[in-house]
Amino acid sequence: MNNQKSDMSRASIFSAIKNATPTITKDAETIQQEALEILKESEFARPKLSSDDATEALVLRIEAGLVIGTSCEKISALDDLPASVNQFLGKYSLPQELKVQGIDRLQKLNWQGISTDIDIQKDNTVGLCWAEYGIAETGSFVVHSSTEMPILLNFLPLYLIAVIPKSKILHYMDDYALIANEIAKKGETPRNMCLISGVSGTTDIEGVLVQGAHGPEILHIIILEDQ
Amino acid sequence: MQVNKPEDFYKNVSKALAQPDLKMIIRRTTDKAEKKRAEAIANFPEFENARMQGQKVKDHTIKYMDHYLAEFEKNALAQGAIVHWASTGEEATKIVLDICRQHKAKKVTRSKSMLGEEIGLTHAFDNSEIERIETDLAEHIIQLAGDPPSHIVWPAMHRSREDVVKLFREFHLDPTYSEEITDLVRSARRDLRTKFLTSDIGISGSNFLLADSGSTCTVTNEGNAELTITPPKVHIVTAGIEKLVPSMAHAVPLLRLLTRSATGAEITQYITFHNGPKRANDADGPEECHIVLVDNGRTKMLADGMEEMLRCIRCGACMNHCVVYKHIGGHAYGSVYPGPMGSVLTPHLDSLEVANKQTHACTLNGRCEEVCPVNIPLPKLIRSLRARSWQKKYEPLTNRFIVQAFAALAKRPRVFQLFCSCGVVFMKLFSRQGWIKYMPLTSGWTRNRDLIEPESKTFMQQYRKMKKAKSDGV
Repeated sequence: MNNQKSDMSRASIFSAIKNATPTITKDAETIQQEALEILKESEFARPKLSSDDATEALVLRIEAGLVIGTSCEKISALDDLPASVNQFLGKYSLPQELKVQGIDRLQKLNWQGISTDIDIQKDNTVGLCWAEYGIAETGSFVVHSSTEMPILLNFLPLYLIAVIPKSKILHYMDDYALIANEIAKKGETPRNMCLISGVSGTTDIEGVLVQGAHGPEILHIIILEDQ
Repeated sequence: MQVNKPEDFYKNVSKALAQPDLKMIIRRTTDKAEKKRAEAIANFPEFENARMQGQKVKDHTIKYMDHYLAEFEKNALAQGAIVHWASTGEEATKIVLDICRQHKAKKVTRSKSMLGEEIGLTHAFDNSEIERIETDLAEHIIQLAGDPPSHIVWPAMHRSREDVVKLFREFHLDPTYSEEITDLVRSARRDLRTKFLTSDIGISGSNFLLADSGSTCTVTNEGNAELTITPPKVHIVTAGIEKLVPSMAHAVPLLRLLTRSATGAEITQYITFHNGPKRANDADGPEECHIVLVDNGRTKMLADGMEEMLRCIRCGACMNHCVVYKHIGGHAYGSVYPGPMGSVLTPHLDSLEVANKQTHACTLNGRCEEVCPVNIPLPKLIRSLRARSWQKKYEPLTNRFIVQAFAALAKRPRVFQLFCSCGVVFMKLFSRQGWIKYMPLTSGWTRNRDLIEPESKTFMQQYRKMKKAKSDGV
């Protein structure tokens, strides 16, 4: 019954649109061309970055305090990651327990006494994820849902560390949209593509900014230079 | 709290103006938003180009709406989503409730969506056996208070910290006894955590519908959308059909405009694209994804020559800069959408007959159009609704009489000038020390402020005198 009603509504919506725009009958190719023309304007309609180098632009943005609750550092090799994480845990006096994304390159590291697992619970303190991409324009890292990437890893812990390989740092959101399009062409679009630019925040009570509304309060981005 | 109705606009306004702190509370948020937006635009010299590009994206999609709707449906189905269509708000609400009942849902979590409010989803749940849990902090506050939203970005802006303290102490299982705002936010975090993870169904809106991929998109600062959507087995999206854009690349310019215009931030913390249900081996995510595409007056706007309004990306900049909104607040409009955008939308969602008064609550100062990120000519649209309201005879008889009397006088210059001369004399009778505190027919003005005493002569009398003096001088 519901399906029938939904089909009727569908037909009525399409017919109402057609009646409202009776003269517009262009083919799909022409429409696509017109849509692509609009994208040519992006070059002149986006903010200038503080550096031509995407990594530097991302770092400068974070260091200028433009990405809420976020700090960053660079490491030259993946083997340096446990030491950096240890320092971060020490800085905030956090327990030596880490929820780590279930990928080999992270699981196989020598974590120097930090316990690591992927069993995410509602009150976890620190999470560590491997970002697919970074975006200099917005100071974002991007995660894709997968077998190894539970989306909740990025939202349940109060402290979050994200590792971004330097080679995956893009200049603009437009660059990421092109990549997403390529992924789609291969039929590999993940369920979720999350662009995360800072920590969970709210200004809902008297306009005062509070970090850690529902998700992380502190975010630390580690840029890995050897990739 | 009693929910205001759009047809009671004047009564609602009187009620709002009688609240002593309301104006201060509204301005605390809107003035800050206005300042932060101005700073964000100053730091983005390409803003005008971005605005033109954003407008073109929306106009293009609206022009080919049927093409893009069909594309979206095809691609969303290919991603494994189930697509539903609803011509009205009631139909959309019924679809959502039916899905919940099919899954025997006891409680649902909901991430803020103005469309959800527009179609009456919140009330529908409250009148059902299913518990509704709002997860956006502001929506959580107004749910506890039983209020409707008063702003589309800050729905709880009318509630003070003291109000929130009382509400959280009464309703939270483990409340804070501190009055610090950070502690209040922590209290909400604790309260909502378990609810996120034990919800049966997660409901969200969608800021954009990407036609070429069938993706929906949530944009939040709190991250509550992802926490609402990921743990439950079922995700339901409700979205207006005007949310379409051709692709992610076309959503990007609108994302640049949206947050700068709404809060003055360059970007929101969380932008997530959702593509159907979880994949076979995904670590988490819902097993079923339903997308309810809602018309509810949008195709009527297209047919009525109001297609420019369909560009709206719901940033709230027009109300943050509106002198009327800043005085009366959101509740007075009696609609989900207040301020200038609401004055155009509400007559289409309800009817012009019940919401024509809102179109007159506008000074036509043009601020809303100046700050609109997609160049919606709001004053033009408001004027055209006023004209329609006049043609349909929705105006009160007194207004119609006054306008018709003015029209009759204006067509007869001599009678008009005589009338003006008498008017000056009449007004002077009520003047005391240069100000008029009371005069018949002007109580709407003099109730809240004095009227200045007119010059001794009318404009035409002064003009003639000046002209004569000039020619005498020559």
